[in-house]
Amino acid sequence: MFTKLSLVPTFKIHHVTRYQYEFPVRESANQILLFPIRDEYQQVAKQELSISGEPMVDIYKDFYGNEVGSFMNAEPHLELVIDTKTEVITTVRVLPSDDVPAEIQWEELKRVHTQFPFIDFLKQEQFNALDEVSEIVQSLESRLHTPLLAAKQLNEYVFRNFTYNKGITSVETTLDEIWKLKAGVCQDFAHLLLVMLKTIDIPARYVSGYICPHKNGMRGEGATHAWVEAYIPFYGWLGFDPTNNCIVDGVHVRLAVGRSFNDCSPVKGTYKGASSHTLDVGVSVAYEDGETSAEAPTLLVPQPVKVNNLSSNSYRRYMEMMQQQQ
Amino acid sequence: MQTSELLNNYDVDAGTWDEMYKDSAVREQYRAVVDFMQQLSVEELNKKEELARGLFMTQGITFTVYSSGEGIEKIFPFDIIPRIITASEWSYIEEGIKQRLKALNLFLKDVYNEQFIIKDGVIPAEMIYSCPHYLREMYKFPVPYDIYVHIAGIDLIRNSDGSFYILEDNLRTPSGVSYMLENREITKRLFPDLLPKNNVRTVNEYPNILHKNLVSLSPRQIANPTIVVLTPGIYNSAYFEHTTLARMMGVELVEGRDLVVDNHRVYMKTTAGRQLVDVIYRRVDDDFLDPLIFNPNSMLGVAGIMSAYRKGNVAVVNALGNGVADDKAIYAYVPAMIKYYLNEDPLLRNVPTYQLSKPEEKELVFSNMNKMVIKKTNESGGYGMLMGHSASDEEIYNYKQEILKNPRQFIAQPIISLSSSPCYMNGKLVPRRVDLRPYALCGPNGVEIVPGGLTRVALKKGSLVVNSSQGGGSKDTWVLSV
Repeated sequence: MFTKLSLVPTFKIHHVTRYQYEFPVRESANQILLFPIRDEYQQVAKQELSISGEPMVDIYKDFYGNEVGSFMNAEPHLELVIDTKTEVITTVRVLPSDDVPAEIQWEELKRVHTQFPFIDFLKQEQFNALDEVSEIVQSLESRLHTPLLAAKQLNEYVFRNFTYNKGITSVETTLDEIWKLKAGVCQDFAHLLLVMLKTIDIPARYVSGYICPHKNGMRGEGATHAWVEAYIPFYGWLGFDPTNNCIVDGVHVRLAVGRSFNDCSPVKGTYKGASSHTLDVGVSVAYEDGETSAEAPTLLVPQPVKVNNLSSNSYRRYMEMMQQQQ
Repeated sequence: MQTSELLNNYDVDAGTWDEMYKDSAVREQYRAVVDFMQQLSVEELNKKEELARGLFMTQGITFTVYSSGEGIEKIFPFDIIPRIITASEWSYIEEGIKQRLKALNLFLKDVYNEQFIIKDGVIPAEMIYSCPHYLREMYKFPVPYDIYVHIAGIDLIRNSDGSFYILEDNLRTPSGVSYMLENREITKRLFPDLLPKNNVRTVNEYPNILHKNLVSLSPRQIANPTIVVLTPGIYNSAYFEHTTLARMMGVELVEGRDLVVDNHRVYMKTTAGRQLVDVIYRRVDDDFLDPLIFNPNSMLGVAGIMSAYRKGNVAVVNALGNGVADDKAIYAYVPAMIKYYLNEDPLLRNVPTYQLSKPEEKELVFSNMNKMVIKKTNESGGYGMLMGHSASDEEIYNYKQEILKNPRQFIAQPIISLSSSPCYMNGKLVPRRVDLRPYALCGPNGVEIVPGGLTRVALKKGSLVVNSSQGGGSKDTWVLSV
């Protein structure tokens, strides 16, 4: 009993997002989803949020239950730094027993498919390769298994058939592009698994968060991570991480859930000004369970930034430009 | 009844309700106007018509037709003969619209909060969630006084037996009210004596009522809150209306770039520095209002405005997300909503509407295409619709293929033969089809509707399409007090 308690891990997550502008920008408005979900599997022991310029942050809950912070900075500024230090305690899950016959489980999925909140998580995204993706899912004969095993199988399919490759995709990359490249990062892997699960009518939602392994070596460290939750009949939402080919259990910290990346984007904003920006992000996780502990430095890593088509008239550019930062 | 040149060619289309004629006799409410017209010579009438055209031109009463190439800003065609509504017809319309708006407001509050109407199975969840205008951002969003629809334009038509039907509800940014006001001003110039002689009720209270309602929404309890009309700018089809309403109410007309959000408050940039804004009557669509939350490429909105709105620091009129209530597929459920929320029978009828997402209704529609008008659920202004009786086989075939791709996006209605009203054309009175859009204003003290509205006319003989974007014109609309 005592040893078990002491093994409940505490993760100390330090997350820094820094935008820098060549010339002063103004009228920035921003939205952050950096507040971990609080439920039976994760508790937030402590959170410190600091933002350059010290704006007043308004926090509210969105449609999917995520806590969202919003703030502005109207005055000219050269930098925006968002810094969170969060302590999260996760609890190990009881995994689904999966002893209900497969047909009954698929029947149950059929029953809920027109109900809230599942409707939103079954709506299929349209893209050119959808038919091809559906055929592959059909050929795997996932429907012969239970939904849990089918989800595991698709999770593994994405892991095995796509190469983890940083820097070749961005948040703008479309599904068709990912499908052609057969490569990407966690958000692309998650995006694909979402689509595949929906082709066999398993409700699936996008999750953004952090991965906090006891030892280094998992994909998705040093930045925010993304994975998928599938709805398992008679159990509930269960996380699948196609980037690491595992079921989510104890080492993932959830920040937000939604239909897609757009619902869960950890930091986004707009500003006005004739300047492009650079973005650096760092996430470090220190780990403590009473027996082992680790300290980690937070390294800021430059991120690819979408290049806007800048008009050649810099006055008009200054007057009209509304930039998005993601 | 004395006949004259003027009425010689007045042939009412068979099976059509005519607003002026009944069994070859002039209806009571039109008698004074017809008598007056008959005293005038054709030359005098032509002069009046020319005067009206000149006034529209010099005052710049225009609208914009998109996608027609060059010269898109057009004078709104005006017919000098008023459309007349009797006192008893009006009181029925007024009650019917008030009832409908009450239910629609309750519906919006419900779908963005508890969703009782879905839980009780009155409207299927799919119907709501598949509507692109159902904004998840509005879920549990506090809206002042629970009013979502502050300004509504409700389209009414009359079928062959004269009974009124609701054709559609416009609950987002309905336009046209400035034409209602301007048309009346023109009539005053053309026929100064006729209005008092006929006991015509006035419409000029509209800007005052709207202003009073906007003031009442101000978060700051002060005598002169800052109210602005937010326009997308000079290229918008209703820019004339935005300037007119701002001028009539004596408030600022602003574009998105004139506003800034700081610390969850909206400010207007003025030569004397920033001024806190209390109420925004926005004529910018939901999707463009806040580039942080909605379309990130929008230059028309103000980033952060949703945050100020959520905190109650600014009121936004109309509320966002109203499109779920005027979706043409949801329209079919409005009578059920009235029953559900108010426990009343609907006063104004709906046009029967078939959901093409329901297989049995789709079959029925497909085998009766020539009797149907088919509309896209999320389009307005008469864009993208098919009139079955005048479409070619090929058009029908292609449209069917469109429908099969995404049936939820289409509804079908039997073609209703709109009522006709006399129009002055080339020295003669001729019947042309009309509809009616009264404007309802909803404030903390209830719904008020100025007695009148915009009567739109299909200027082509026999045409049933009255939309100004499709070549329609308009008339002054008289509501008689006795």
